Amino acid sequence: MLVAPSAVAETIAGHRPSPDLAVGRAAYQQHCARCHGVEGRGDGYDAKRLYPRPRDLTEGIFKFRSTATGTTPTDEDLFNTLTNGLPGTGMPDWSHLDEGARWQLVAYLTSLSAAFTDAPPESVNLGTDPGPKRADHAQGHAVYEKLGCAACHGLGGRGNGPSAATLVDNWGRPTRPKDLTEGWSYRGGNRPRDIVARMLTGIDGTPMPSYAEAVSTDDAWQLAYYVRSLQRDIASTMIAHARRLEGPLPEDPDDPRWQEAPRADARLRAVVDTQGQINAPQTVTRLSVWVLHNGEAMGLRLMWNDTSDDRGTPADALAVALLPQGLGGDVVSLQTWPLRDTPSLDLCLWSAAQTAGEAREAVAKDFSTLFDGTIAGTVRESRAAYLDGEWTVVITRPLAPTDVPGAAQLDAQAIVPVGFVVWDGGNPSQRAVSMWIDVVLRPPKTRGQGHEAAPSKTQGGGGAIWAIASVVLVAGLGLVIKTR
Amino acid sequence: MASAPRAQFVTLAALVVAIGCGGGKPQEASAKSNTAARPLQLAQAPEDPATAQPSGSAAITGRVAFSGAPPAAERVKMDADPQCALQHTDAVHKPEVVVNANGTLKHVFVYVQQGLEGKSFAAPASAATLNQHGCMYEPHVFGVQVGQELSIVNSDATLHNVNCKATKSKPFNLAQPTKGMKTSKQFAAPEIMVKCVCNVHPWMAAYIGVVAHPYFAVTGDEGTFSLAGLPAGTYTVAAWHEKYGEQTQTVTVGDGETGSVAFEFKAQ
Repeated sequence: MLVAPSAVAETIAGHRPSPDLAVGRAAYQQHCARCHGVEGRGDGYDAKRLYPRPRDLTEGIFKFRSTATGTTPTDEDLFNTLTNGLPGTGMPDWSHLDEGARWQLVAYLTSLSAAFTDAPPESVNLGTDPGPKRADHAQGHAVYEKLGCAACHGLGGRGNGPSAATLVDNWGRPTRPKDLTEGWSYRGGNRPRDIVARMLTGIDGTPMPSYAEAVSTDDAWQLAYYVRSLQRDIASTMIAHARRLEGPLPEDPDDPRWQEAPRADARLRAVVDTQGQINAPQTVTRLSVWVLHNGEAMGLRLMWNDTSDDRGTPADALAVALLPQGLGGDVVSLQTWPLRDTPSLDLCLWSAAQTAGEAREAVAKDFSTLFDGTIAGTVRESRAAYLDGEWTVVITRPLAPTDVPGAAQLDAQAIVPVGFVVWDGGNPSQRAVSMWIDVVLRPPKTRGQGHEAAPSKTQGGGGAIWAIASVVLVAGLGLVIKTR
Repeated sequence: MASAPRAQFVTLAALVVAIGCGGGKPQEASAKSNTAARPLQLAQAPEDPATAQPSGSAAITGRVAFSGAPPAAERVKMDADPQCALQHTDAVHKPEVVVNANGTLKHVFVYVQQGLEGKSFAAPASAATLNQHGCMYEPHVFGVQVGQELSIVNSDATLHNVNCKATKSKPFNLAQPTKGMKTSKQFAAPEIMVKCVCNVHPWMAAYIGVVAHPYFAVTGDEGTFSLAGLPAGTYTVAAWHEKYGEQTQTVTVGDGETGSVAFEFKAQ
């Protein structure tokens, strides 16, 4: 969806108004000051709720440029950032503002720092795109190794290199290297061209240096195509379709039967601390879930990114949140739970510090009573594995437990909201939460469900609802006759 | 241009040694690259008659004392990068507060802060060098003149990024992934100090004093400094340390005279 910078420049050339700083200032105060501050110093009302922090625009240091390190961005660079936003940060896209307003904002931004005159843009030659057909991933991988990318980004690009956890930005704030597998969260775009630009211009103010003098443009493109090959899609449908199996549910995270359930992904969001601030980079950003059940119990296979395997104190941990039986009240968002007077939740807490194979379920008013053992909880079967920047944990729970007072009672035909909370022991000031995901326990309708990976091979006891749905949806005459 | 500086180097080196005999050890910067560059800087300036010449006969010398108990030096843990650890047999400590055996303080940048107004000095043709060696910066503290070439070298077989956070000149953050890689930079305006860091190896830090004239020095193992070749005049001399900040003193020197300045930094 991103528009190529050159294309942007072409399409808007005719719409660019002559700069009027009064107009730009007014638009800035209306749209930008809340985060970037009235004077552009990055100290707006909401600044501390955001991480990374909004830029101090008066310093003239900008991350996403087409220009040499230490020089200011071009007007087009700023226009593109305004238009596309910065995915994975608090900076939204402003494409809903008309182009004229965006150009006035650009003109105003360039008036905020002397750097725009002292260090004018010096363009960087990005070379020529060889095209995907000439991309050689082996060569790209060799460049990745030669340039030392793994020191921060890790051997597999998971953002878990040996220097990753120690990085700070130019203002001393902790920062983390991009998990290169998360193409959807590349701030400056995830196309090969964007990656080449980041390589050659650097990301000023962050540890990411310019490789302009260290790599040929040909190698930079090969590296970019290699990095692109590491990117994985994310299926943020907010719906997890369960598959039904007969017999015991798989306990091993690597059991092939998990693949019978379609994967559902959730992006996680950092929760502000008690001061209403976020003071560390978000390290756990995504969680994938596969759900199986056998009519008696539900198995969840959960996989999330975490750059460090922390089993000491504090340890990596995860909680599966369900709405307890007879919930009095509503938990709108896990971001605001627990607050005083919010209802209890059914939590199934797994911690890397605990004895292997243990997760504990209880209905609790908060997380800490379950963490510190004030509430013992009921042990649930679980297995965990950590590999190259990812946890994979399997937790099995009865659909309708009788051993936990007030526990969620799930119907095998129901759609139930499930939420996830993740703690990174290597980044303990923060927890990350998902939105409520709909787990669809009832069997799928088998046809016409284009978004599902594959029809289940183990429909088993689908029952009447499944049969009726088939009649409605399936045009196959034989099946209709058979059902009647 | 190629041969002339060499001849002048000899002349100037002799001059510096001569001054040194009278007023303590000159040019005592600990870093080899820096000490090599400095006499050349002095030698270059007279080439341009349009600029004031650092060929005066006055000098300011002194020492930087340290009192109190210095903080324990922080041990550097290089485990994360085997290429770093491999190059050291002994424990490495951060060179932040280094107190010499004679009770003086090392790594203090001393320079003429005031007294040279209205004079301009051409940048020397020779480069200063910032070397990355054993995942440490050499030198740790040094000076360059405005417009002087700064040669940044990676002597390690590992990735370094050179993130120099200048605020008066263009900042830069460059990758040097391979051994032997060399990059040239310069600073356009005076700045005390430009801090350079390597984010890959967070213990690495270098401080560069960017000054508009050639009258600067860094204390070494003896804790002394010498600012030679000054015109007669009254000068404010500043001593800067990364932890203890900056102190200044004023001294007046006449032609042929050597003024003496004593600084003292106290443990906090």
